[in-house]
Amino acid sequence: MKGRRGRLRLALAACAVYALLLSLSLHARSAQPRGEQATDVGRVVSARVDRTVTVRSADDARRAVLEAAAEGRKVSIAGTRHSMGGQTFYEGAVVLDLKRYDRILAVDEQARTVTAQAGATWADIQEAVNPLGLSVRVMQSQNLFTIGGSLSANIHGRDPSEGPLIAAVRSIRMLLADGSIVTASREERPELFRAAIGGFGVLGVILEATLELTADEVYESRTSLLSYREFPQRFEQAARSPDTGLLIARLSTAPEHFLERMYMTEFRRTGLPLASADRELKQDRAVELTRFVFGLQRKHDWGKSLSWSLQERLFRSEQGGLVTRNNAMRPESDFLDYRDAQHSDLLQEYFVPLSRYEAFVDGLRALLREEPLNVVNITVRYMPQNGESALSYTASEDRAALVLLINEKRSAARLERLERLTQRMIGLAQSLGGTYYLTYQPYATLEQFRRSYPGWTELAAAKRRYDPGSLFWNDWYGKYGSEEGGGRR
Amino acid sequence: MKPMKRSALRWVMLSQNAMTLGSGIVFPFYLIQIKEIGGGFAEYGIAYGLFTICSAFLNGWFGRSSDRFGRTPLLLIGSWGMAGLFLLFPLATSIAQVYALQIAMGAFGAMQRTCEKALLADLTDGEPGRGEKIGRYQTGIALFSGIAVIAGGFLIDYFTLDLMFYAGSALLLASGLLLLRVDERGEEGQAG
Repeated sequence: MKGRRGRLRLALAACAVYALLLSLSLHARSAQPRGEQATDVGRVVSARVDRTVTVRSADDARRAVLEAAAEGRKVSIAGTRHSMGGQTFYEGAVVLDLKRYDRILAVDEQARTVTAQAGATWADIQEAVNPLGLSVRVMQSQNLFTIGGSLSANIHGRDPSEGPLIAAVRSIRMLLADGSIVTASREERPELFRAAIGGFGVLGVILEATLELTADEVYESRTSLLSYREFPQRFEQAARSPDTGLLIARLSTAPEHFLERMYMTEFRRTGLPLASADRELKQDRAVELTRFVFGLQRKHDWGKSLSWSLQERLFRSEQGGLVTRNNAMRPESDFLDYRDAQHSDLLQEYFVPLSRYEAFVDGLRALLREEPLNVVNITVRYMPQNGESALSYTASEDRAALVLLINEKRSAARLERLERLTQRMIGLAQSLGGTYYLTYQPYATLEQFRRSYPGWTELAAAKRRYDPGSLFWNDWYGKYGSEEGGGRR
Repeated sequence: MKPMKRSALRWVMLSQNAMTLGSGIVFPFYLIQIKEIGGGFAEYGIAYGLFTICSAFLNGWFGRSSDRFGRTPLLLIGSWGMAGLFLLFPLATSIAQVYALQIAMGAFGAMQRTCEKALLADLTDGEPGRGEKIGRYQTGIALFSGIAVIAGGFLIDYFTLDLMFYAGSALLLASGLLLLRVDERGEEGQAG
């Protein structure tokens, strides 16, 4: 390496070798399949999608849909990706990310409606309607979900007088496979309305929705401790009472009274003027503490016992407290915001007739004693009968909705076991005249799906009509919805 | 002799700044790269740990080698080797491949770290104001590492991660080319 010339030669040689290596690398890179890994908050299922397109306008969405169609690719639609059954992606698909398409378009104070773009969250809506003394009719227990995703999953909430979300929808605007934008409501294209709400994004892109609102009210919270045997009757009583605004119950997962003790919290109407409670929208308090206790609950049985007794204290201190409906519908915290490398928080939900609630809980307990699963908590909500959506989960009668939060390691063996157990739990619910929720892990067998959701043929018929080329597609639909059924990944 | 050393130090600084910039613009995105492949925080930790631990074992050996063969040849191998490895990152499709790359990166990183320090010591040996010179040198490095991370944060919005690795690789190549100037002035200066 001596001498100016020698160094120049070395430099040139290095550059030449580098150029060769660079071109080799670029060549190899271009030969690799394109795409990116897509998953959801459950991280149990994933797929390599072609690309994710951020939608900021209806034109963005239309362009992306037409481009994907021209390329012969499928289109999947995603919001905050809290559906855990492969509803937001498909191998090689173009994923439309609707989170940035999030404006509140109009709030009609007289008619009590709000019109919002699909990516707006319940938090956005609450901020827009709270100053007007209005409140959302149906939403989940957290407010971080998008309207579009909530409609696609036809979610439900804690108001026992309300059915699933579809009950509170006036109309939706949808982008269809041919690039047209149409309105669907009970009067206009009712078959599209019924199939798209709860249809997990396989008929088109829900761009906007007009939702009905209700009055914000002042509630008084009352929590009672009771056994699971006396629960159904007390629960039904509370649910049917005109004084009940919101209703939620919890089943203990503490080992000393596993699936036996329960808390039931009623938010009762007080008739007091809004000014008598704090109308400002609350932010979460003591998030870190809640998260810490939740972490203990996730990991240890004693954590579950501790959390149960802490809740008892908390409820006692909050007994009789006044809270507005809007604040009662704010989240405690996003407990699913959990990024462990190996474990996931997974939700499951079962709907059972109240008359069979006790039998279901007994069956569940026996099953979980036989094959222990880390069930962190179980909440119970009241679901009035509603058969509007093609894929309704309470089509025939009122049901208790049990939501299980399970913490599980995402290893192949553990997930295989979870799949087997899930099928048994679905079987248990079905044997008692109940059903399960489609939004979570895609573990039901095809037979179980078709038994619980006979309306799948209606969705398939709407699909043939509105998306004959099967442009809108996702993993979940590939497994359950398509008429071939389960043939494709 | 003095001006030669000073000039050599300047070239080392330029070269190592390019090095810092090149490796720094991709650094914040290793995690994304690993997630793309399907890993999580644990895999990220392992990958980063492998890099550090591998270099830990090799530092001593490379230090001795640099006493024998000179600092700059090893520094050159270090930066060009890393430039080559950066060309492989966009091709990695499994966690195991990333781990292998990180181990190799650890080896080249050890060459670079140890030889950089040794060369810095050589070039300031017996000089007045040594601390000040090293301080100034370190200022440059710190500045560029900050600039790199900030630039990376901005650029990732416009370019793919792969392109960032290619850009980083080109900067590492440039870092080596700048080192060639050191060889001329620094070591001759030392010899003289």
